[in-house]
Amino acid sequence: MTITTTPISVTTAARAVGVTKQYGDGDAAVRALDDVSIEIEAGQFTAIMGPSGSGKSTLLHVLAGLDRPTSGEIYVGDTEITSLNDKRLTLLRRDQIGFIFQSFNLLPTLTAAENIELPMRIAGRKPDALWVRSIVETVGLTDRLGHRPAQLSGGQQQRVAAARALAGRPQVVFADEPTGALDSRAGAELLGFLQGAVRNTGQTVVMVTHDPAAACYADRVVFLADGHIVADMPDPTSSSVFDFMKNLGG
Amino acid sequence: MWTATVRGMLAHKLRLVLTTASITLGVAFLAGTLMLTDTIKVAFDQLFGKVSSGSDAVVRTQTAYDQVAGVSVGRSPISAAVLAHVKAVDGVSAAEGYVSGYALLTDNDGKAVFAKGGAPTVGYSMPADTALRGAVRVRTGHAPTGPSEVAIDATSAEHHHIALGSQIDVLFRGPTQHFTVVGTVRYGNAKDLGGTTGAYFDTATAQKVLGTPGSFTQIDVRGDGTVSDAALAKRISAVLPKGAEAVTSATVAKESADAFHKQFKFLDVMFMVFAGIALFVGAFIIWNTFSMIVTQRSREIALLRAVGATRRQVKRSLLVEAALLGAGGSAIGIAVGAGVAKSLKWLMGVLGFALPSTALQIQGRTIWVPVVVGIAVTVVAALVPARRATKVLPVEALRDATPGATRPGRVRAAIGLVLTGGGVAAILSGLYSGAGSSNKVMLGILATLIGVITLSQLVARPLASLIGAPLRLRGVAGDLARQNAMRNPRRTASTASALMIGLALVISMGVFGSSLKASFGTVLDKATNADLYVTPSNIHGDGFSPDVTHLVEAVPGVATISATGYGLARFDGAETTYGSVDPATLNQALNLEMVSGSVKALGPKGVLVQTDVAKKHSWKVGDTVSTEFAATGKQSLQIAGTYKTNGFLNGDYILSNATHEANTSNPLVGAALVTLDKGSDRSVVQHRIADALAHHPDAKVLTQREYRADIGGVIDNILTFVSVMLLLAVVIALLGIVNTLALSVFERTRELGLLRAVGMTSAQVRAMVRWESVVISLLGATVGAGLGVGLGMALAQSLKGQGITQVSVPIGSVSLYLVAAAVAGVIAAIGPARSAARVDVLKAVVTD
Repeated sequence: MTITTTPISVTTAARAVGVTKQYGDGDAAVRALDDVSIEIEAGQFTAIMGPSGSGKSTLLHVLAGLDRPTSGEIYVGDTEITSLNDKRLTLLRRDQIGFIFQSFNLLPTLTAAENIELPMRIAGRKPDALWVRSIVETVGLTDRLGHRPAQLSGGQQQRVAAARALAGRPQVVFADEPTGALDSRAGAELLGFLQGAVRNTGQTVVMVTHDPAAACYADRVVFLADGHIVADMPDPTSSSVFDFMKNLGG
Repeated sequence: MWTATVRGMLAHKLRLVLTTASITLGVAFLAGTLMLTDTIKVAFDQLFGKVSSGSDAVVRTQTAYDQVAGVSVGRSPISAAVLAHVKAVDGVSAAEGYVSGYALLTDNDGKAVFAKGGAPTVGYSMPADTALRGAVRVRTGHAPTGPSEVAIDATSAEHHHIALGSQIDVLFRGPTQHFTVVGTVRYGNAKDLGGTTGAYFDTATAQKVLGTPGSFTQIDVRGDGTVSDAALAKRISAVLPKGAEAVTSATVAKESADAFHKQFKFLDVMFMVFAGIALFVGAFIIWNTFSMIVTQRSREIALLRAVGATRRQVKRSLLVEAALLGAGGSAIGIAVGAGVAKSLKWLMGVLGFALPSTALQIQGRTIWVPVVVGIAVTVVAALVPARRATKVLPVEALRDATPGATRPGRVRAAIGLVLTGGGVAAILSGLYSGAGSSNKVMLGILATLIGVITLSQLVARPLASLIGAPLRLRGVAGDLARQNAMRNPRRTASTASALMIGLALVISMGVFGSSLKASFGTVLDKATNADLYVTPSNIHGDGFSPDVTHLVEAVPGVATISATGYGLARFDGAETTYGSVDPATLNQALNLEMVSGSVKALGPKGVLVQTDVAKKHSWKVGDTVSTEFAATGKQSLQIAGTYKTNGFLNGDYILSNATHEANTSNPLVGAALVTLDKGSDRSVVQHRIADALAHHPDAKVLTQREYRADIGGVIDNILTFVSVMLLLAVVIALLGIVNTLALSVFERTRELGLLRAVGMTSAQVRAMVRWESVVISLLGATVGAGLGVGLGMALAQSLKGQGITQVSVPIGSVSLYLVAAAVAGVIAAIGPARSAARVDVLKAVVTD
């Protein structure tokens, strides 16, 4: 991985340059990320893996503008985001980033349809009805649009979250253990759907997972351990990821 | 369990502070009321003790019955001839005739020196025997001697810059006279006597200007110390003519003080009602808070149950928490109560009701009653939520159930409807069944309030949806705010209910006052034909000198002036207010709408009776009404006529001025109606009358419009006072809104984090919380306004025929209250909105 200072590669959706994230001071200091640099290529499905405490979630959070690194630079598209104030960062999240969390992705008072349109409505924009409908059809939620989250299954809820993340055609969709709370069938459906979005519409997706079976849906897997990137595996398979993880964890 | 309870309380500091405050305010009001009323009582006791400290016994005429009418109980004067007999009694060392009566001082510019707060302006004779003066001391100058000297109280002298040697006019019932100020008077260390003004004359002068020559108001007696006061009074009584009595000074002081206590009793009751309302609203907040605590802690409670805590322990833990909260809140409340007592007194003063002062009285009762009440209210309010806590099952600790709102049931609807219906019925039947049913009305109001509160949970959802409808235009923040207000109808309703109660009471008073004002306007418009009105300058005062009517009568352009007055007497056994009129001139100025008989026929032994009252007693013209005056005793008055409207004059009975004067000691004129000669210009004559009254600052001349504004001002003052008291309940209600919002924000941390993650700016988050607050406030305010208007209209309606002829809703001020409620909602949301915007996005969205 070369560190470049040349701005904006059209094929880079997001990148981290020399990012360090440190919690605490002095003896108690813990480096969750230690001088990490990574480029997320546009139109690719990237998975970030690593054992517990490797810094994989922290990397996702700083990339997505949910957390600020201690040092280093983060670019989303052509925007350097660590220097943005809270308001500009919020607007950037709203307009250029989509999120899927492990759980609690939806507002309980809103219907599925309203949840999907939420970021656009926050922005005061009219959703692109045709696009939204095609996404809803793809995720198979057409007959569930009027339901509230409490009336949906866990898998359906995550698919609503995915539809919301994709509906605004963001620069990047960040997914933090999106299948962590799902059974394997619902998880496979969701991953297939994310993969489809990358293949068919060129959407960029970054996903943190600890599940090798989930990682093999990605085009590339980045492995983290102790705050460092330790490997970058293109075209992963379930077994290659599993083997690597076994070595890493062992 | 103890540690868990205390730690749990400390963990939520804001909630602790807000909940405590809601108890503290109610308790503070209660404690403040007790302190104030005790202080007033002690002040009056000291006051009257001081006045009578110079004499041991008092000789006076008897009254037919005990009457409360301010400082001077209405007695006939006692003949001066009695004095010689009293002096001759064995054991009497000194006795002197004493005279008191109406006297209004003026300052060097001829302006009236009114006593503060409508206290009486009184003239007295200064006893020649200095020992008989008691605590009344001439502090500067000398005691008045001769027909042109006066000594005045130190407060009047200081505040109105009346120096010794000043030449001032003093107004009496009779002609105004000119005096030289020769001394100032103090009462012990006090500069005035409970806010009254005092003018002192030598006894002969006092007889002439205050009473009637040849008689005294009473005779003050000092013993030589050989017998007790009671024995002395008994000995004197033996030599007195029929109709006179001798009593000890202590008795007189006690009578006077008791009379004042009775007059101020309404204050006790009024303040207690306000304190009760504040506590009631406070109880609501506590109930609400504990309900939320139980919901929030259901997992914690389930865990406690799972590890072996019994239902009883869970309940006790919550009740202990409530008791601790109540005790803490009450303790602070008592401390704050002293401040409340002082500000209440100040407020009364501002609005024209000066109270005598002494050191703030804090008795044992003032401490324990509010503490007990505060703790009891808190624990009782927490009972229902605590019971609900016992129903949490241990297995719920294992479930990942988010607290959901239960759907309100049919039982609730039925109970609510029954309470509301019953309450309204009780109010109506209480209001229309006449006197003595105020308890019924109060119970009715309480039942209606609780009924509406019960129902409010059922209508909170649709109402919030309706009120929040315009918010959809405000984008997603507004829309989410509306949905948040709707999502837990029980919480929204009970939060809004506190505000509803406060506003319902404030607005019902507003409607009542507005109806009163409108009715007075109508009365002036329709019932009187007067072109001008002569009224007392001091609207709180008793009236003005009858001399004024003679002055005005002589003004060119004035056709007639018809004086009216009022007094108290027993008619058919019951004491009530009566009006008095001049039968010769009344018809020109006032239309009583006579049903039978005529005003002209009202002679010195006659009475006019309101037609409904006459009907009730089956009286007709020519029948006699047994009447009893306190000063002069029983009389039989013959009904000269019956009338329909009495809006201008108070009471159901009307006497002639002559009868009024003959049976009352030195009455003043309440108001006079002036009609003009044909063709004379009203404003010209008004100026002429004003000029004629230049030396009579006790009266003023007003047009109808001015008179209306004058009365309106008085009503407004009282309304303002009542509203300020009730606003306390509104303040407590706002604390409740802050509390609920803070809790909701805390509960919705994850939602807020999610919203921030997907791009809601902190400004939008703040707006969302703010709008939710506004929806809740407006919900409470609109229901409260509706209820208040209904209540006020019922109240006004029930008093039709007793001065209220018109029911009027002050739309302006009602809308103002609604706007104010919305603004208050915004203010209540400031803190919670800020903490909502500060939610840590990462903590909220990351599953740990």
